[in-house]
Amino acid sequence: FLGAGGGNDIQWCFSQVKGAVDDDVAEADIISTVEFNHSGELLATGDKGGRVVIFQQEQENKTQSHSRGEYNVYSTFQSHEPEFDYLKSLEIEEKINKIRWLPQKNAAQFLLSTNDKTIKLWKISERDKRPEGYNLKEEDGRYRDPTTVTTLRVPVFRPMDLMVEASPRRIFANAHTYHINSISINSDYETYLSADDLRINLWHLEITDRSFSILLPLFYIVDIKPANMEELTEVITAAEFHPNSCSTFVYSSSKGTIRLCDMRASALCDRHSKLFEEPEDPSNRSFFSEIISSISDVKFSHSGRYMMTRDYLSVKIWDLNMENRPVETYQVHEYLRSKLCSLYENDCIFDKFECCWNGSDRQVEFLSLIVMTGSYNNFFRMFDRNTKRDITLEASRENNKPRTVLKPRKVCASGKRKKDEISVDSLDFNKKILHTAWHPKENIIAVATTNNLYIFQDKMN
Amino acid sequence: MLGKGGKRKFDEHEDGLEGKVVSPTDGPSKVSYTLQRQTIFNISLMKLYNHRPLTEPSLQKTVLINNMLRRIQEELKQEGSLRPMFVAASQPADPLSDNFREAQPAFSHLASPPLLPADLVSTMPLESCLTPASLLEDDTFCTSPAVQHDGPTKPPPPALQPVKDSFSSALDEIEELCPAPTSAEAVAAESAAGDSKAQPSESNIHKPEGLPESRTAESKLMDPLPGNFEITASTGFLTDLTLDDILFADIDTSMYDFDPCTSATGAASKMAPVSADELLKTLAPYSSQPVTPNQPFKMDLTELDHIMEVLVGS
Repeated sequence: FLGAGGGNDIQWCFSQVKGAVDDDVAEADIISTVEFNHSGELLATGDKGGRVVIFQQEQENKTQSHSRGEYNVYSTFQSHEPEFDYLKSLEIEEKINKIRWLPQKNAAQFLLSTNDKTIKLWKISERDKRPEGYNLKEEDGRYRDPTTVTTLRVPVFRPMDLMVEASPRRIFANAHTYHINSISINSDYETYLSADDLRINLWHLEITDRSFSILLPLFYIVDIKPANMEELTEVITAAEFHPNSCSTFVYSSSKGTIRLCDMRASALCDRHSKLFEEPEDPSNRSFFSEIISSISDVKFSHSGRYMMTRDYLSVKIWDLNMENRPVETYQVHEYLRSKLCSLYENDCIFDKFECCWNGSDRQVEFLSLIVMTGSYNNFFRMFDRNTKRDITLEASRENNKPRTVLKPRKVCASGKRKKDEISVDSLDFNKKILHTAWHPKENIIAVATTNNLYIFQDKMN
Repeated sequence: MLGKGGKRKFDEHEDGLEGKVVSPTDGPSKVSYTLQRQTIFNISLMKLYNHRPLTEPSLQKTVLINNMLRRIQEELKQEGSLRPMFVAASQPADPLSDNFREAQPAFSHLASPPLLPADLVSTMPLESCLTPASLLEDDTFCTSPAVQHDGPTKPPPPALQPVKDSFSSALDEIEELCPAPTSAEAVAAESAAGDSKAQPSESNIHKPEGLPESRTAESKLMDPLPGNFEITASTGFLTDLTLDDILFADIDTSMYDFDPCTSATGAASKMAPVSADELLKTLAPYSSQPVTPNQPFKMDLTELDHIMEVLVGS
């Protein structure tokens, strides 16, 4: 159970790790996004080299009741290529910033993947049969001489080795002057939004099996670009549609604010319906207050009643009915507060950590009770909203034994370091966990280190 | 450098140096606060100007750094104590010169009375401002070295000091030759550098080494800022703030008037940059005269020759 009570906290065990063993990380292999599909059967990752790798979960084997199915590579394709912006004389990175799955409607799967400038809709389909017995073609494709055909036959489908094909169905381009940071599919499944630093666009998905086309957005729904760019002091950092209300979405900013907008109010949501902002704590004020308040991720809870935001040092849970402060705040790595100057100098302070909710448990639908987010030194953290307990775990190949419960980690902020604790100064700031994902229905999590993907499951009894 | 107690002092105030605001009004804490602010300012500038991306830099990052710089600038304005000018016979920055940034009303109060070195002890002792950033924190990230400084009475050379390229070594030589004000450097620099002045500054600022880095930036901040530091310059989102403006801000662009009819305060009048030849011509009649205290600098003709050779020939 999800630790909702009864003292049954989840015990996480190592399940699998994907990716190169080398310490020498190839830049293109750096994982930049991780996302389960709606059933949890598929797990997609995007990397800096513009590739998407999709893993598929094996069907549960009745005889192997001690573990859930393993994830194996299902499809790999090059989603985005590097481009060159001739006007600005700058490269456009092919790095995949976000992947979002569409709910499955038929045999094929669809996902949206985006880099800084262009969003693509990919269709992933299986082919496990092929037609055989053509009259005018040989098996190898060569054409037969019609004069040699003496009988006619009907071609039949014969099984073949499974082939998974990915094909781009739509390209949503030329709509973003700035860098895309978020995409979010509406609950109507017909539209989606894409957000860059200054604008949010609304698009129509229009999934049909027609040939591939290039579309333009419906319109801007948010535009915060000032008339004079020198007056710019705040940018959009993340945006998401409400899970149930198809006219409602939120977007967060670099100043730690979240705005909730309703598209029914006006087409251009230049005025928010609600503004969520916590007043600054004067005792914690520093030069870096603004930077660490910048929100790097926003996620609605399953019910849509709450939303979670991640800033540099904490995770905050907001009740949509209360704008003036969050209902809960969880410190991810408060011990970094005294290191902010160094972290500013080495740019770590600009790292964008994501956060995610637990999946909705089979029995307890739509309860968002546990929060997961990453930290440094390949640590990741979980917070249980009910018990108020938290845990720090590490994604490393040393914890390689399946079904062995992961050992909790502790960082020693100051003073005497206890055995098994790690001091702040020993933390490796190059090993950052920015992307994590939770299976929508089960206690399986995917945690991305720089270039490896770890899968952990809870220990089943 | 701080005295021996420096490190201890910072240890005690460790919390106050990072994360927390230290009120600018308490004694040693004020120094820490100012120092931290200065360091952060330097780091911010470096981030904006050292970055040579092949891809477009993150707008979010740029905006956050820019906000940081603006905030610090605002504070400095409010405190009314921008870094005191080191140029002894300081001139109001000529509004017509290329190095002057427009929109300077905030800095006009600095323009009028030239500050003598004695005036430098305004709100804070200079030595304390020079503590390296590494003492700010107890960790290993910040590796800025100790800053060597001879004290407030000797004006530092323009911010090219840490880089030993030909230009700065030439300036060093000039300095050795002319123990008096920086005007000599200004003259030589102005006359010799000409178009090439952009280059040394470029190569200078883009040296990525971590060690001299903060020193360069630090001495930049120490040098008079007026006019050259208007981060919210009207010429675009920071990108047009050229390195020249930062580095050469303090070089006196007004030339000394060699006309013997003007008084020593002829420094107040502007002169066009002179060529070496012109200099020689004007100096020739004076070579046999005893140098009066009002002479802006003592210079031997041969020494001038030597300087010119170094500057032009290198």
